[in-house]
Amino acid sequence: MKDILIKVVDGASQKFGAEYAEVRAQKLFKTMLTLKEGQVEAAKQGIENGAALRVLVDGAWGFASVGALNFETLNEAIADACKMAKAASSRLKTPIKLVETKTVEDKVVAKPREDPSKISIEDKIGTTSKMSNIILGYDKHVKSCTIDYLDLTGTNYFINNEGTYIEQDKLYVWSRITATAKQADAFTFSREEIGSTSGYEIFKTETPETVGERLAKRAVEQLKAKPPKGGTFPVILGTNVVGVFAHEAFGHLAEADLTLSGSVLLDKFGKKIASNIVTLYDDGTIDGAFGSFKYDDEGIPAQKTLLIKDGVVVGLMHNRETAQKLKAKPTGNARAEDFRVEPIIRMRNTLIEPKDHSFEEMVEGIKAGYYLKSFRGGQANLDGTFQVGIQEGYEIINGELGEPVRNASISGNTLETLLNVDAVGKDFELWPGRCGKGQTAFTCDGGPHIRVKKVIVGGSA
Amino acid sequence: MVVLKQEEMQSLAEDAVKLALKKGADEAEAFTYQGLTTNVVIERGQIAKSSRIIDRGLGIRAIVNKAIGFSYTNVLESNVAFEETVRKALSSAKASKPDENWHSLAPKKPLAPVEKTYDHRIVELRSEDLVKVASAMLDAAEKTDKNVFPIEGGAGASYLSMAVANSNNIANFDHGTIIECSLATLGKQGNEVTPVCFEFNAERSYNIDPEWIGKEAARLATSALKAKKIETKNTNVIFTQFAFQELLYFTLINAVKADFVQRNQSAFKDKIGEKVASENVTIHDDGLLSGGLRTWKFDGEGVPQQKTLIIEKGVLRNFIYDNYTAKKEEKESTGNAARAGYLSTPSLQATNFHFTPGNKSPEELISEVDDGLLVYYLQGAHSSNPASGEFSVVATPAWKIKNGEIAYATKGAMLAGNVFEVLKNVSALADNERKIGQLVAPWVLVENVKVIGK
Repeated sequence: MKDILIKVVDGASQKFGAEYAEVRAQKLFKTMLTLKEGQVEAAKQGIENGAALRVLVDGAWGFASVGALNFETLNEAIADACKMAKAASSRLKTPIKLVETKTVEDKVVAKPREDPSKISIEDKIGTTSKMSNIILGYDKHVKSCTIDYLDLTGTNYFINNEGTYIEQDKLYVWSRITATAKQADAFTFSREEIGSTSGYEIFKTETPETVGERLAKRAVEQLKAKPPKGGTFPVILGTNVVGVFAHEAFGHLAEADLTLSGSVLLDKFGKKIASNIVTLYDDGTIDGAFGSFKYDDEGIPAQKTLLIKDGVVVGLMHNRETAQKLKAKPTGNARAEDFRVEPIIRMRNTLIEPKDHSFEEMVEGIKAGYYLKSFRGGQANLDGTFQVGIQEGYEIINGELGEPVRNASISGNTLETLLNVDAVGKDFELWPGRCGKGQTAFTCDGGPHIRVKKVIVGGSA
Repeated sequence: MVVLKQEEMQSLAEDAVKLALKKGADEAEAFTYQGLTTNVVIERGQIAKSSRIIDRGLGIRAIVNKAIGFSYTNVLESNVAFEETVRKALSSAKASKPDENWHSLAPKKPLAPVEKTYDHRIVELRSEDLVKVASAMLDAAEKTDKNVFPIEGGAGASYLSMAVANSNNIANFDHGTIIECSLATLGKQGNEVTPVCFEFNAERSYNIDPEWIGKEAARLATSALKAKKIETKNTNVIFTQFAFQELLYFTLINAVKADFVQRNQSAFKDKIGEKVASENVTIHDDGLLSGGLRTWKFDGEGVPQQKTLIIEKGVLRNFIYDNYTAKKEEKESTGNAARAGYLSTPSLQATNFHFTPGNKSPEELISEVDDGLLVYYLQGAHSSNPASGEFSVVATPAWKIKNGEIAYATKGAMLAGNVFEVLKNVSALADNERKIGQLVAPWVLVENVKVIGK
């Protein structure tokens, strides 16, 4: 593989005058299952081999993707990429440059305790069926259960014309479980995700029983829930909601491509944007976490990147292009879903750091508000407007947890909300998820419980 | 990489079916897909990139004792990979569990003709041509207002082709083209930044208007400046197609899918013949719509696409079906099995979800509103409760309407309610029909929507 790739990138600089050239070749193997009410819809297996070729010519990017790995096709594709770049450069105002980095030669071998590619489909059907049975058998009001399962294994080969060559194994195990419950006119929907880069052993901790019961219990308990009152309230965010807030509401604004596009963080570097007790980072190095990897898709080592320290913006997430533009160091956040797409700035594991409050202390401080425990979707805008949908929440009345509420969502301005954080818990949990930004990336997010003085709660009552 | 011809696409699919049957499958189906896309990309206000993506592959479904296996590959040049893929489809089926509801693969049926789905001019576009399209759009945006910053967007041209074959003698081929052009902008003035404003145009034929997109994306950003917070109350809301698509995609469109109905996940279960929407609402799922973004001769199982009446003057008439859900009720598929290229098994999806337009211009629609909101986009619609239709989303950007005129941009307003109530409260539709994803609709005026402001 290496010999072919060297010839291809060398050709780009020698024959087409590319300032920069890289090839990212992949050999991937996937197993997928979908179960509906325990019935396997289809057991699926697939092979995807292909290469992404990216070049800089006259300061513009050219990119080609092909589903083949032979020299002739790759050589033709890189020539095509160079022609593309030339065409794009005709209207360029500011030529693109990349920050200089150390070259790397490395081979990263996945060492799962249980390699998903070596586990039989029958076993995978067994585990997911068991989970399905637990959910459907939990209560007569549970009406449906869908389980998607995916494992992906294979190898990435990255080379560039600066001398970096990395072979890196890929390994992901993922499952999304959803269930609905119905009683009279009330419909509830509950979801969970499991995700790991360590191996199939994730099902030893996230067992069918633990996950199935957590999910079914929520779907059934929410049947009794009422819609929240709409308006501005103090809230406690559970670790799962804190994670999605860190990721959606703040994280995207700190992706340097979006910051440069004009996100509200653009002129906030070094400034205080959050209360003193907020420290937030994006960390690609947490062992086994769903957003972890050793090298990103530009060959930069992953690292722990501080974004907010004691309320002050101290960093952004970069690729080599934005790092050059903002005179920063690359942070290893350039990720591509597969060989069909280019690497773009993506989060890894995004977290708020725990502090000193207990959950009880936080609840005591609230006369009328909500405890928002678990989310269903979230989205942010560059102006800092965020929305997070809530799948599990409770009233807080006079310092005590009250009735469950259903289909709530919270919204506000990210920076105002961060300044309104008045307590950060001492607990900590990390949740796997998937992030969409044109492409899908596997990520984690989380943190402790936090309390926010005021946020808009959308409700239908 | 050489483009696969029709004969090659079809023979790959047909050979896969033959081999699967020979190796012991009771039934087999194969789908070949090829996508060739050229893009020009705008980043931070300039054309910075061009790309060409060639993606093709083969997906095979094999049925053994009512258990279904699926396997795919994008390695098409080698016989070894081809045979391995067929073998894996069979081994997956054997590892899987029988499905007592399985009846059979789709039967062969004659295909209806489709119009305006292929334009050779799109196939012939090179990146240089797309640079011109994107430049025209960018120039138009920049000329409009100095407070407008184009952030991202671009132009793309795709040629797609697909072949499907199965053991019931289906052997279909279709191909088509799509051209897209889009621009996202921000308005900035002093400390104020607007939400992202976005315009786009996608067509099957080469008749897009990049200058209109540029101007409109810029106009939106300018008018989103000086945003104010608004009061909490129930009010009239005009949804543009972008906002309406977001709202319906996660709720109504699922509720009319037969699998959601059969699995007790649809609020429309047992409601055929009942009034579920205002009498202003008539919806077809039209897989044959002339020039529709999702118009093809056949669906992912080779079943002819068709026009299906969903809601007629507020009354629920039909659900949409794929082969599996149809057979379960001894009905016929409505041609709604979609595929994610060669990578997936068929799944039930709407084609062109077409709201019959009204006869008022958008200006007239606004002029009829004394007090209300014009909502362009929604944020957070994917967090709606897909089963109940309850939503709680941010309207951003949105504009306050006062005395029949747009008064000012609003900031951070939330909309909350139930999509099925929204349908009952549709009081008028405009005549400005557009295609946005699955939705083909005009602006829609809805009464009595809960808006949560400051």
